[in-house]
Amino acid sequence: MKMRPGGELATRPLEFIWLADCSISMRTHGKIEALNEAIRKSIPHMQEVAYENPNAQVYIRSIKFSSGASWHIEERTPVEDFTWTDLDVQGVTDLGAALRILKGALTVDQMSDRALPPVIVLVSDGQPTDDYKEALKELMEEPWAVKAVKIAIAIGRSANKRILKEFCGEQGIDVLSADNAETLVQYIKWVSTVVLQAASSPASTASGAQTMGINVSIPIIDEDFEDIETISIEDVW
Amino acid sequence: MHRSFKDNQRVLTESGKSLNIVKFLGAGGQGEVYEVLYEGRRLALKWYFVQTGTDKQKSMIDKLIKSGKPDERFLWPMAIVNVKGKKSFGYLMPLRPSQFSNIVDLMKRRVEPSFDAVITACVQLADSFYKLHKMDLCYRDVSFGNFFFHARTGDILICDNDNVTASEITTAGVLGTPRFMAPEVVLGKSKPNISSDLFSLSILIFYMLMMHHPLEGKMEKNIKCFDLPAMTKLYGERPTFIYDPMNSSNRPVAGYHDNAIAFWPIYTERIRQLFIQTFTKGARMPSHRVSEKVWRDVLIELKNSITVCECGMENFYDIQKLKMNVHNRCWHCNRVLYPASRLKINNEVVILNLNTKLYGHHLMKQEKYRFKKVLAEVVPHPKLANYSGLKNLSHVPWRVTTKTGMQYSIDFGKSFTIEDGTKIEFGEVKGMIRKG
Repeated sequence: MKMRPGGELATRPLEFIWLADCSISMRTHGKIEALNEAIRKSIPHMQEVAYENPNAQVYIRSIKFSSGASWHIEERTPVEDFTWTDLDVQGVTDLGAALRILKGALTVDQMSDRALPPVIVLVSDGQPTDDYKEALKELMEEPWAVKAVKIAIAIGRSANKRILKEFCGEQGIDVLSADNAETLVQYIKWVSTVVLQAASSPASTASGAQTMGINVSIPIIDEDFEDIETISIEDVW
Repeated sequence: MHRSFKDNQRVLTESGKSLNIVKFLGAGGQGEVYEVLYEGRRLALKWYFVQTGTDKQKSMIDKLIKSGKPDERFLWPMAIVNVKGKKSFGYLMPLRPSQFSNIVDLMKRRVEPSFDAVITACVQLADSFYKLHKMDLCYRDVSFGNFFFHARTGDILICDNDNVTASEITTAGVLGTPRFMAPEVVLGKSKPNISSDLFSLSILIFYMLMMHHPLEGKMEKNIKCFDLPAMTKLYGERPTFIYDPMNSSNRPVAGYHDNAIAFWPIYTERIRQLFIQTFTKGARMPSHRVSEKVWRDVLIELKNSITVCECGMENFYDIQKLKMNVHNRCWHCNRVLYPASRLKINNEVVILNLNTKLYGHHLMKQEKYRFKKVLAEVVPHPKLANYSGLKNLSHVPWRVTTKTGMQYSIDFGKSFTIEDGTKIEFGEVKGMIRKG
């Protein structure tokens, strides 16, 4: 029985959006399987972080891009109900098309009038095949896109890190390079836990600790940051 | 990359003793925590990552072990552990019993304690901070994650004590957790110290009593993107208390800050005044912050003032309002609340509701501020429906004198009828009952 008035501590929504490269090159060396596996494995960790966070209600969505782009998971799904549907590969790397869909989701009309900085995670192994520059310029006209924590994970050695860095912004976080499945799992876990936590309810900060990011202070990746149950694909991409 | 230890692993400490790793409990920014079996006792082992397990950290832990724990509520470092073949180090501490909830559970209403239990937890927090500060130690890192409480009794446990340092240390350790840091620490003008601890303690007490942050009102509502610059402005540059009597610009907004609006009027004027002091003048001038001792005394007053309405819900008897002939209404059913029977004892007034308990704090001088031993309890009268009695649960016989001058002795297990004007000698202290 409720013995005191009121309700839960007031929260703000936090939008967490995956931008996943599903071009045909993601098929080689099991990259798409590794990405599916890594995101699926990150979900319980994300749910744990959200469970212990009284300040945010986390919603997850996902955009996929190859020849064109579309919502992979369009509904803003509360993290506690989120499940991952495997991505398939086909076609080329139309990053610009994905950024246009993202822009549509981050307009002032679409976003709540009060929220936490959105977290956008771009995962790609290649080189954009459409006019991403114009799409990125248009995206960055949206105030919520400017405020967002933008993280890019380059999968394998053929990913164009310069372009991914453009997405993160000059002052933003450096591109993370995942050259094998184990590293990819670690980075996906890092963005799903440490970055999510930093954007919603910053943890204790140490004097002189190194952090990155402008509008959200994100702890640098610790060398000891690890995944307990790493997946076993050892191929180097 | 793997965990430092496996479940059920047996390791040898550098002193040659055997340590059984029972299971992994969790990992944080600084290291991992395991349940271990050591010399026949189940304990917790915090094991630092190589980067964080520095000599400086080791020396800090060593100092804490030497200084000893401020009281039993602190899960304090007990011994440093070095393991053969491992670069880093760890320390042993008591294991937290599983029946304790964390403050996040309270904020998310996953536990639903009574007002009495929440206030007891706040009293214990203030008391433990008083003892910590008396040793010239500073906690530095108040946050939801570092405190645990028992939802039925209000007993608390204080974890993550490895950031505790001497107050004057200005270089090492954590700065604190956003939302709990004092404005001068947010702005980088000061490192955590006892004064900033007092601000953080007040924030935590406000959160626990009001289920809301004291600086989040209209200004917070108007912030679209709640990022680091917004937090610095709200908690550092322009900290404005939501109920500042001289500045109404940051009042809570209905629909956004409903908990603050629901809880604030329920509490007594004395409690509200302490929050006003600490979050207005105290936000700008650390010397104006409410001390742990004052918090402890006024929170005990609040605990003593709990009045149970006919509907069964706890409310508070506000003597300040009563003096002005203003009667509170029940927050739940809106009935007017009339003063119940009350016991004036020492300098405190305890409202005697059915099941109200008197503790060592009330009846024994050496037990002041302790709420473990129940020495008396209000019980229903066996025959008269509208009457209740006070039952002696102590082994000290009480001497009771009624208004008409009749005297009798009340031994352990016996009760007397609660009536206006009755005087009681409880042994070490004397009390008198007022009714109506």
